[in-house]
Amino acid sequence: MVSQIKSRFPIFQQHPGLVYLDNAATTHRPQAVIDAITNFYVADNSNIHRGMYELSANATTAYENTRRKTAAFLESDNPGTIAFTTGTTESINIVARSFVEKRLHPGDNIVITMMEHHANFIPWQMLAKARSAELRIVPINEKGDLDLREFGKLLDAKTKIVACTHISNTLGTVNDIAKIVDAAHKKDIPVLVDAAQSAALYALNVRELPYDFLAFSGHKMFGPFGTGVLYTADKYVADILPYNFGGGIIQDVTLEDTIFKKYPYHLDAGTPNVSGVMGLGAAIDFIKGMDTKQAMDHVNDLTTYCREQLLKIDEVKLVGWPKSQGGIISFLVRDIHPHDVASFLDKDHIAVRAGMHCTQPLLAFLETPATVRVSFSIYNQRADVDHLCDALRGLIKFWS
Amino acid sequence: MTKEELQQLYSDKILVHGKDPYHFEKIAYPDVEILAYNPMCGDKYVLQLVKGDDSIQSAYFDGFGCALSKASISILLRKIEGMSIQDAAAFCKDFIHAIDSGSGIPSDDPALNVLLELRNFEGRVDCIKLGWESLLSGLGEES
Repeated sequence: MVSQIKSRFPIFQQHPGLVYLDNAATTHRPQAVIDAITNFYVADNSNIHRGMYELSANATTAYENTRRKTAAFLESDNPGTIAFTTGTTESINIVARSFVEKRLHPGDNIVITMMEHHANFIPWQMLAKARSAELRIVPINEKGDLDLREFGKLLDAKTKIVACTHISNTLGTVNDIAKIVDAAHKKDIPVLVDAAQSAALYALNVRELPYDFLAFSGHKMFGPFGTGVLYTADKYVADILPYNFGGGIIQDVTLEDTIFKKYPYHLDAGTPNVSGVMGLGAAIDFIKGMDTKQAMDHVNDLTTYCREQLLKIDEVKLVGWPKSQGGIISFLVRDIHPHDVASFLDKDHIAVRAGMHCTQPLLAFLETPATVRVSFSIYNQRADVDHLCDALRGLIKFWS
Repeated sequence: MTKEELQQLYSDKILVHGKDPYHFEKIAYPDVEILAYNPMCGDKYVLQLVKGDDSIQSAYFDGFGCALSKASISILLRKIEGMSIQDAAAFCKDFIHAIDSGSGIPSDDPALNVLLELRNFEGRVDCIKLGWESLLSGLGEES
């Protein structure tokens, strides 16, 4: 299965020896996604929602069809719940500034977790400061699992949103979103889920996981850079205000005032990333064309196998040991700095991430200045893990 | 740079500083304390200077970072001892310019030349410059 899937990603033809273990930073793109972007420029290029000619009408139809496709991807029957953004970061910022801000009063609170990426941390921290509200942080245990009992205690009548990652980009922890949503909804608190690390392979079915906001990026699910999605539940759609101002989002402009279109169209100020959205649509088709259960099992198998193999190396220390770990593992190698580890692995054609992974509060809690991180996708295989471990053994021997 | 070249570089020139860095300790009463921090990777050092009448009498550092940043700061601190604040700042500026522009600086110090050789080390230039840029910025505030 893997070799067949891998052959659909041209990067591996350009770099046949590449062991790419940095999928949490960005995945590679299959030929189908590259073709979709290219074909748009070659055959269908035109601006959308503007031109009174066939080419523009076709581009608009294709763009809106991708909105339908994205809604269907989440099992939402309303395409009007889907806004296209530049990525997870913008999606979260839209919810912070265009939804929560006006509902947040001094003394209210926002609940996030210790393991959030800065993209799901700083927008809430800044908002809480600006509105004299409290930022409440759900703690984690030493294994890297959320303390859900403590989470329940942090929710009260003044909680205006819960914002939580589905999968930790540093530890790989897969959070129990169903439980989180259920606890918050019992108190009528909306929940935003950062699905940046999970959108590619995890079922994000809104019927089963009734989150209120979902944010994810195209480039971490085989799609183009600069594309993202914000899903907003029907019940909150009317409460989202425009985020940026400009052309394309208005119904009427007079000298005195402006009347805006409704969500999601009032978020498209300026020209949207039309070709990117075409690529995003192709990425969704690519995912839907896979046996996603088999793909997820494969990534889970790689995660377990990698953990087992790393544990066989005495000088390697895993950072985090969550109950459920989704394709991401952080570790340390003796006293060798993660950057030095990454530089040496690079010479064995192994691409890993080293550093703080945009999770400084988490690393401060773990009293770890930086980690080496490996992250898997559908085109990785057990041989990649073996290659990694051999290279690590070589590095340890060299460093001794 | 091949793996063999990287190993050669580290074993001959980097690890010697990384494993036994110059004045790698925190002193109790420095005259100047400068934070060298790269938030992208987590490298964080405190540079400490003791001033003499007209010069930097001694320099120390402490903290966490990769072998490259540690070696680079080790070499830097050894070089600036005895320099005036102005000369140390100019020295940092020249070095950073040399790294960025690819030009050389007049020096017969082999350690310094090793750092300059490393400017083509993919993705690691910030590690080399960290201490130098922080010191330059800190000395600017001092003068």
